[in-house]
Amino acid sequence: MPPRISAETLDTLRPGLRSLIAERAKRLPGLRYCDLRIEVREEKGAVAENGAPKAGSEDYSFDFGIRAISGASGGGPQRASAAGYYGRVLGQSDAANIEAVVWEGLEQAHRRAQASAAQKEGMRQRYPLLGGSLSDSELAPVPPAVDTVSAAYAIDPRSVPLDAVIRMAVDGCRALQDTRGQVVYCAASASAQLLRELFISSDGADIDQTFAQTEGFAIAVCSGEHGNFELYDFTGHQRGWEILADDYDNGPIKLPNFVDFCGQLSADAREAAAAPPLKPPERDVVVVTNPHFNTLLVHEVVGHPSELDRALKYETGYAGRSWFLKDLRDHQLGQQIASPLVSAFSDPLMEGYGSFRYDHEGTPARRAYIIRDGVLEEFLNNRQTAAIMGVSPNGSARATEAQLVPLIRMTNTVFAPGDRNPQDIIAEVDRGYYIEGHRTPSIAESRENFRITAVKVYEIENGQLGRLYRDGGITADSRDYFRSIDAVGNDLRVNPIPNCGKGQPMQAKRMSNGGPTMRGTARLTGPG
Amino acid sequence: MLSLDRLRAAISEALEYVSTQPDVEAAEVFASADANLTVRLNYTSHIPSNGVEEPKSTESFGLGLRVVFRPGTDAPGNGGRRTGFGSEPNDLSPAGVQRALDKARAGAVADPEFISLPQPDDIIPPPNPPSAPPGGSYDPAIMDVNSEQLVDTGWRMMDRALDAFGSAEDLLALAGQPDRIPDLGLILGGDVVLLQSRMAVASTHLPQVQSEQNTLLMAFATAMVERQNGKGSGWSVNGRLAGFDGQAAAEAARNAVAAAGLEYGGGRRAPTGAYRVILGPQPVAEILEWIIMPGLHVEMFYAGASPFLGRLGRDIASPEISIYDDGPLLGPELTPARPEPAEGPPGSRLITDEGLPAGRTELIRRGQLTGLLSDYYNYRRIRQDPNARQKLGRDPSDALAAIAPRNGYRPGNGGGRNFGSPPSTIASNLVVEAANGLPSDELLRRVGNGIYIGRIWYTYPVNGITSGDFSGTVIADSYLIKDGRLDAPLQPNTLRMNDNAQRVLNNIIAIGAHRRPTVRWSSDQVTWAPEIAIDGFGLEEISEYMDGVYR
Repeated sequence: MPPRISAETLDTLRPGLRSLIAERAKRLPGLRYCDLRIEVREEKGAVAENGAPKAGSEDYSFDFGIRAISGASGGGPQRASAAGYYGRVLGQSDAANIEAVVWEGLEQAHRRAQASAAQKEGMRQRYPLLGGSLSDSELAPVPPAVDTVSAAYAIDPRSVPLDAVIRMAVDGCRALQDTRGQVVYCAASASAQLLRELFISSDGADIDQTFAQTEGFAIAVCSGEHGNFELYDFTGHQRGWEILADDYDNGPIKLPNFVDFCGQLSADAREAAAAPPLKPPERDVVVVTNPHFNTLLVHEVVGHPSELDRALKYETGYAGRSWFLKDLRDHQLGQQIASPLVSAFSDPLMEGYGSFRYDHEGTPARRAYIIRDGVLEEFLNNRQTAAIMGVSPNGSARATEAQLVPLIRMTNTVFAPGDRNPQDIIAEVDRGYYIEGHRTPSIAESRENFRITAVKVYEIENGQLGRLYRDGGITADSRDYFRSIDAVGNDLRVNPIPNCGKGQPMQAKRMSNGGPTMRGTARLTGPG
Repeated sequence: MLSLDRLRAAISEALEYVSTQPDVEAAEVFASADANLTVRLNYTSHIPSNGVEEPKSTESFGLGLRVVFRPGTDAPGNGGRRTGFGSEPNDLSPAGVQRALDKARAGAVADPEFISLPQPDDIIPPPNPPSAPPGGSYDPAIMDVNSEQLVDTGWRMMDRALDAFGSAEDLLALAGQPDRIPDLGLILGGDVVLLQSRMAVASTHLPQVQSEQNTLLMAFATAMVERQNGKGSGWSVNGRLAGFDGQAAAEAARNAVAAAGLEYGGGRRAPTGAYRVILGPQPVAEILEWIIMPGLHVEMFYAGASPFLGRLGRDIASPEISIYDDGPLLGPELTPARPEPAEGPPGSRLITDEGLPAGRTELIRRGQLTGLLSDYYNYRRIRQDPNARQKLGRDPSDALAAIAPRNGYRPGNGGGRNFGSPPSTIASNLVVEAANGLPSDELLRRVGNGIYIGRIWYTYPVNGITSGDFSGTVIADSYLIKDGRLDAPLQPNTLRMNDNAQRVLNNIIAIGAHRRPTVRWSSDQVTWAPEIAIDGFGLEEISEYMDGVYR
């Protein structure tokens, strides 16, 4: 029987795969570049509903993905080039002949690249005018790194007995329940995993990164005079089991233990369910948004439009474009798109759920200032889009699994903190609304307008929080809203976002977002 | 890809082995081999691009076990029975089965609501296996597609779009001279997705191995004349590779040119208000899938999270509308819309991933809520729920046909059937039909003055599924309606929808007679959607500042 798959399995596979990608691949005629991503994930998870266990699992996943950039066959370096990809799920039985399996995948990716390059040439000839923009597949250079990055954790996710994971889900779920029957349904899940990734390129990169990821999810449906109210949220971090078992407090990351997290979610849901629905005024009002709400706001309205694949129209079909860029000459870079108080950055090197040292193209991670002092400064990019824009790659290409093609992704993307006391920001408001906790977004296609609902909306009168409402939120045109920001708090919080969907087929990616308390002007939304 | 015979043989051997284990009371074995082959498109006339951006594929095979373990001395709850799920990729041998069984055993829990694995004689009335369509929905050419053919599907789309753009006289008029046409910012995005799927299933209660193979080819294209804010869509659903012609891209390009509004000097805005609108097939499908369908699952009633709580058997919509889910999709009424009537329609499935017959569930019949989607677990669970009558609005024992388990599937990422997931309730083919279907021009006449909404985006249940509230934006293929005719194109991204599903369902003016198979992002679910005219639809004008950002 072949040995079981574990993160350590990659140790035995690595030398042969390095040789295959860095040396043997060069024998493929017309191949200009290739890279391999291969990963092993060891995961434990459990689900509970209404206080009872529903499922437990302890399993591994093992998969790889290949990219080849090749020229059309039958010619020299002047022939057109294109990219081809191949991905596959692997099993325990594949480890013994991994090089043959990967080679077969490389050949497929190469064939696709060559076929695409030949068709690209044909299309240029057939449509001399409109085909003129069909370009070779070029990657901006990055130095090939050889490095090993270890996971950070106090309790190795693999050391936690599955029974303890099941118990955690059940305990969390029971913390969601109440004694008065207001919670009509609840569910919780807990999971912990160790993920090890290898990135090997024909340029000589050989990067080994391991991540611990621990996550919890909770949902409560509560009855109320104005109908049932559902609320769900996630907790999690790139750390070990301690994230669910204990409180975690490190700078802007403050995570209660899972049972307390569930208890607080339930209390919030019950309180909101009992409140009257918000009847929004017809005019713009002063809104103070809390860090949890700004977590989703920065994600949707700053992070997504800063992804250069969107800006360069790659996502016109589904995920949408970006109002930050019309074309290479006409864009918002260098323009004041927000109040000078607003800065936002994406930083995979800071602690968060989207941290890494190298992205999935082997590019070293660095902080990218998307907005600095209200001015649009930089897009998140990958090597291909960086080459098109003529800038340096900033390490934002990430895939959810190795078998899937990396996309440009947020990492730890946040509004930078200001210097104001959040209590003062509220106290200065004569009449306004306090927007607490994010719920569900609906964002315009190029991210130029948004509607995001909140868990709770409080009136502010004479600097004091007043009546609570449910089913409320805010809507605004993005630039107008960001230009209206007149106060930014010093209370930055960074929260996990574990399910950002993008790509075809869709990839749900883990990352962090966050922000401090902020004050601006927007229109409120209510039911309907 | 593994053959169906190999999967079937593996299922037989695995079930025999697992069933003989002393701690196993009952088991279900599911095996699948799946591939998703996708070609993503990105063409921009004004920015360097690859045209065909990503020709790619992912594939997997393996088996999954659902196992009921006998009571052990240390096993509490549910009579001590435990249920577990385990799977193993890429190995159908006895060793692979053993590993999957070990995982199921390790993760097994005592679920107090578990009754049994699917038992056909427990379903009332007993399900009737549908007769197989001639040829099924399996195309050997899609199943065996090679790299060159895959790449060709994407470039065929490119070719059709560039041909449509290049022959559009309106573009020449807008550009002034031929060599300035690329400066108009012509865009083609989207993808071609080919799905290959083989599955086999058997269980203690359904010991005869059942199997099925499916293929599907879906194309979705979005084209733009960006300088004019002209944006159009096109799509196609094919059961056969030979039937794929890439015309979805030409359709998108033509729609984008039309929406560029040469005749009107560009797209128009519309002020905030409650409008008479016609929703095209894509908006109907999107609102149905994201807002309405989640509330039509049995488990959402169990959880108290459906906007239709307590209303089974009651009117929830205009009597003009009926909606059903139909896995086999064999109804003769679909024939006029079938691309290939001689074949099984694309998306047809005859068995669920629990080994039960797929079938038709009447969800809404002439405005009345008549059925809900369910897998076997939820079908049994709601029957034991002491609050079921209050949640459903009827005693479940009086509504067993309405909640029958016809939708237990194991979806993969982007479609297909995945051995690595236990079954859950998933819609299959959704069909919307009219009581009195009208031609499009009659729908326009009934609306008189309003807005035709051809494509929407990011339509989410902003106040939770429970409320039925939704919001989204109008992004393409949309026009003002004036005096019963399409008038000026609507500028994309300038209207936000804010409305409620229940209100929309009850404010239907009329429904079109023609249905179009409509695809959704990252799914193999096909919705056969007509145009629907709605009264008093909430629209809000947005993003006026954008008119001054790029001139």
